[in-house]
Amino acid sequence: MGERDLFYIPLGGTAALGAATALTASIGFLRTRDFRFDSLAHAATETSLAFLGAAIVSGCFVIHSATGLWWTWDARLTAALVCWLLFATCLMLRQGVEEPSRRAAFAAVWSIFACLDVPLVAATAAWWKPGKALPIEWTWPRLGLLAAMAIAGGLFTAVRARHEDSGCVPPVD
Amino acid sequence: MMGFFRQVGVVAAKDLRAELRTKEAINSSLAFALVILLMFSFAFDPLADTTREIAGGLLWIVFAFAGTLVLNRSFARELPNDCLDGLIAAPVSRAALFLGKACASFLLVLGVQLVSLPVFGIFYNVPWTRQFPELFLVLVLGTWGLTVVGTISSALTVNIRLRELMLPMLTYPILFPALLGAMQLTAILVAGNPIGPGDFGWLKMMVGFDVIYTAVSLALVETILVS
Repeated sequence: MGERDLFYIPLGGTAALGAATALTASIGFLRTRDFRFDSLAHAATETSLAFLGAAIVSGCFVIHSATGLWWTWDARLTAALVCWLLFATCLMLRQGVEEPSRRAAFAAVWSIFACLDVPLVAATAAWWKPGKALPIEWTWPRLGLLAAMAIAGGLFTAVRARHEDSGCVPPVD
Repeated sequence: MMGFFRQVGVVAAKDLRAELRTKEAINSSLAFALVILLMFSFAFDPLADTTREIAGGLLWIVFAFAGTLVLNRSFARELPNDCLDGLIAAPVSRAALFLGKACASFLLVLGVQLVSLPVFGIFYNVPWTRQFPELFLVLVLGTWGLTVVGTISSALTVNIRLRELMLPMLTYPILFPALLGAMQLTAILVAGNPIGPGDFGWLKMMVGFDVIYTAVSLALVETILVS
């Protein structure tokens, strides 16, 4: 395991935790109509998108060092890309809808749609390109990185959710 | 329960009647499908053997693009004269409203597909008639997935800017499992081969996708359609 292999699995794991948070918060919003859940879902989706993007980029580096290609359409990369697009559509839908209560409800519904698709996408990608992905091994360095990244992601999410709650945009500097 | 399906039928019949009178969505969708089929022939040699191998993928790209033109109109049709508010206020359940609209769009998209399929067969010299019953099953399953997700997207995007752009952007990533399955199976069937036991997994994936998204859409549509 080289240093490059170290990162993409914890990054992807943190993105998955973010997606699970977004799904839980979306269900919470639809049940309670409490806008704090909506802010949490928004922030968790953003964090998840950032970490998944980083996971895809580091995955590209791993593949490049192994095969000399930057993109090989293997099952895991393809599934990660489709999931990244799914989370991106959640944020795009948010940008499009102006009225706050409608925006929150629509985004929550679409989050649930997108999260339900994640296992289907993973299964489809694995059938489409069988037998190429390496097994995921949770070694201690990776677990340590996952813990660190999960804390960092949690902090990002908390800060973004608080900005959303207070209705102000984050400071630029 | 009978009442629910009658409501679905009434909404679907209303949508089909409105569409068949104006023919605005179906005409543009058909014309668009033909234009894309023509464009593909510029991109690669239409009669080469390699083209026949990717025929399933090409066909579903055409169906997905042409389908969104029909789906865009599904809820946008109700915007003039505030018809959408009227429909939501009407004494039909919103699930029935959604399912009726999905059924109407499904029939329209299927119609467009059944017209463009022979054209595709002639243009690209593909023996699509040999396995037609299986191909029809794949068309039905794939189109239902497309319409159910597309109708929900149509309801979500009806009031926002760039509606025509947002609908395909929302729909295609979600449809990845269903579209990929449809493309794989269609590629086998339009080449004149039967579906082997190794390909039943794709069929199950499409059925599962349709069932999951129909159920979730029916459960969540109440929160989307608010006046």
